[in-house]
Amino acid sequence: MQPGRRYFCARIVVTVVSAFFVVAPAAAHAVLLESTPSLKSSVPGPNVPIKLRFNVRIDAFRSRLTLVRPDGSAQALEISKGTTADTLAAEATELAAGAYRLRWQVLASDGHITRGEIPFTVAPS
Amino acid sequence: MARLLQVFGFLSVLFRGATLTFQSLAIGGIVFVIFVVRRSKEDSGPLQRACLRWIRRSAAALATMQISYVLANSLILRQSADISLREVIGANFVLAGLMGVVAALTVIVLTSPMRTAGYTDLLLPAAAIMASSVMTSHAMARLDYRVPLVAFTALHQAATAAWLGGLPYLLIAIRRAQTPEYARQLSARFSQLALVSVAVLASAGLVLGFAYVGSFKAIYGTSYGAMVATKALLFGLLLFLGALNFQLVRNGPASSILASLKRFGEAEIGIGITVILTAASLTSLPPAADLTNDRVTGQEIIARMSPQVPRFVSPTLRELPEEIYAAQKRAFEVGSLSTESYVPGQTGTRPNTSAEKAWSEYNHHWAGLVVLAMGLLALVAQAGKVSWARNWPLAFFGLSAFLFLRSDPETWPLGPVGFWATLADPEVLLHRFFAVLVIALAVFEWRVQTGRVASGPARLAFPVLIAVSGALLLTHSHSLGNLKEEVLAELSHIPLAILAVTAGWSRWLELRLPAENRTRSVMARIWPLCIALIGVVLLNYREM
Repeated sequence: MQPGRRYFCARIVVTVVSAFFVVAPAAAHAVLLESTPSLKSSVPGPNVPIKLRFNVRIDAFRSRLTLVRPDGSAQALEISKGTTADTLAAEATELAAGAYRLRWQVLASDGHITRGEIPFTVAPS
Repeated sequence: MARLLQVFGFLSVLFRGATLTFQSLAIGGIVFVIFVVRRSKEDSGPLQRACLRWIRRSAAALATMQISYVLANSLILRQSADISLREVIGANFVLAGLMGVVAALTVIVLTSPMRTAGYTDLLLPAAAIMASSVMTSHAMARLDYRVPLVAFTALHQAATAAWLGGLPYLLIAIRRAQTPEYARQLSARFSQLALVSVAVLASAGLVLGFAYVGSFKAIYGTSYGAMVATKALLFGLLLFLGALNFQLVRNGPASSILASLKRFGEAEIGIGITVILTAASLTSLPPAADLTNDRVTGQEIIARMSPQVPRFVSPTLRELPEEIYAAQKRAFEVGSLSTESYVPGQTGTRPNTSAEKAWSEYNHHWAGLVVLAMGLLALVAQAGKVSWARNWPLAFFGLSAFLFLRSDPETWPLGPVGFWATLADPEVLLHRFFAVLVIALAVFEWRVQTGRVASGPARLAFPVLIAVSGALLLTHSHSLGNLKEEVLAELSHIPLAILAVTAGWSRWLELRLPAENRTRSVMARIWPLCIALIGVVLLNYREM
């Protein structure tokens, strides 16, 4: 191979490889595989740990968890850092007994946004 | 916003399909110019300029698609997650999209008519376009084996671009070559390139299929598996056309080789775009390997597909649940919610009632009877002994009216949901589009069959519309879970789509191949048979 062409091929390889490292890895069409609390479950209060595991890596920074209280008011939950790439975690505190809904929205790398809702109940202590 | 989400959910697959198509055309053109045209000893100036013009157009279309997709999706992300513009800009799909746009614009600059020599530097933006596409593929998000999967995805897409994306340039080359000998040389060189591309594409596809589908049961038990099988079948159809090409070059009459090659090339491009649209549809689905619960079993498929007496008695409108329609109308207005994973804008799913299923089966069975009759009459008309049989396309008028009235009973004119409101519902929109399409089919093909149109592009309306409707059936949006009813419906749609694509392109070849090509008479039998088979599949369509 001629030197000029070799360098040219090297530039192509560098461009492609660097593209994958420059960009933060995210997900392609995430689907919820399991959750705590699980769908329609009853959990003890007042503090409820929340953990959602998806089928792929997700962009946690651009994902959202929202808790809808029994009176219909919504509260954005702070997403914990340092979890695995396929997991969203948070903690809902001081929850009174009643029916809640956990709304989630995650971003996929192909630009698709996936959403879902997990109804659960906080049992009277 | 809710309206934008609903329309966008449907359009995103088409956006992805268009992006993959234009990306293949731009990269395929670049590969064709560098590895096929530039290696020739003849004066290739005019041909090269023609190819570069189409590369520029493809790159411009690619940039437009990327910009539209990134803008619409950024707006949705910003509003739905309530995040700042700066945060949106850092998202992976925005960076990938911007990279694709910059690369496409670079291609436009580098293929400027002012340049006359040295196009190998085009491989750099071509690689960047490929990288931007792979960055938004399933491979980047996998938890295991990410690096090898990224590499195989890149190989798969690059080989697709070199082969399918290069085909239109081969047609340009055959048309513009100064001598038949030069056209033959270019065809031979492209055949070598295509052969290598097909081998790479199939090998990489096999590895990706194994990683994302995972098991034989997932092929028929999940939407993803069924779509992968469809892609493989269409790929087989392309190889069949390739084999016909090969046989033609070896044994065909010298006078018609190039003309026949052009016509086969046209059909290959059409089927190739259908394969790319199917691939786009796959990107909107989670891999089958991730969905191990609630798959459809072999017994359930056999139970659903076993032949039964068609339903020719319809439930009355009163038996259909009006209160559910009212709830649907409210959900449509405020945006719906579901406990399943779903794409924003997707309407919530609920099981259909028995009356609704019977209503739908009745529609499919009557439509099937009409289509079967049309296919058989077309076969009889081809034999040329019964002259009135040539009027078979008129039956499409009745089919269109039937579809318009009955396909969505909850909407105008039968149901409470207004005409304009339902146009934002992708499913209803698709049904209405098909009703109009059927009228177009009737008009064009009746004129052709009865000799009112003997030449010109109007003759090709019927094959194009049939093939496009088949491709659209493969491109509709899917649910994200293993909803059994949706998978079973998918399994009945796929044969219809494959038969429609085959019917469309075999009719195209019948009309376009030179008279001395013997394949033409075979094609003339294939398409009416496919239409009759579509009727048979519809007659056995069931929802319970």
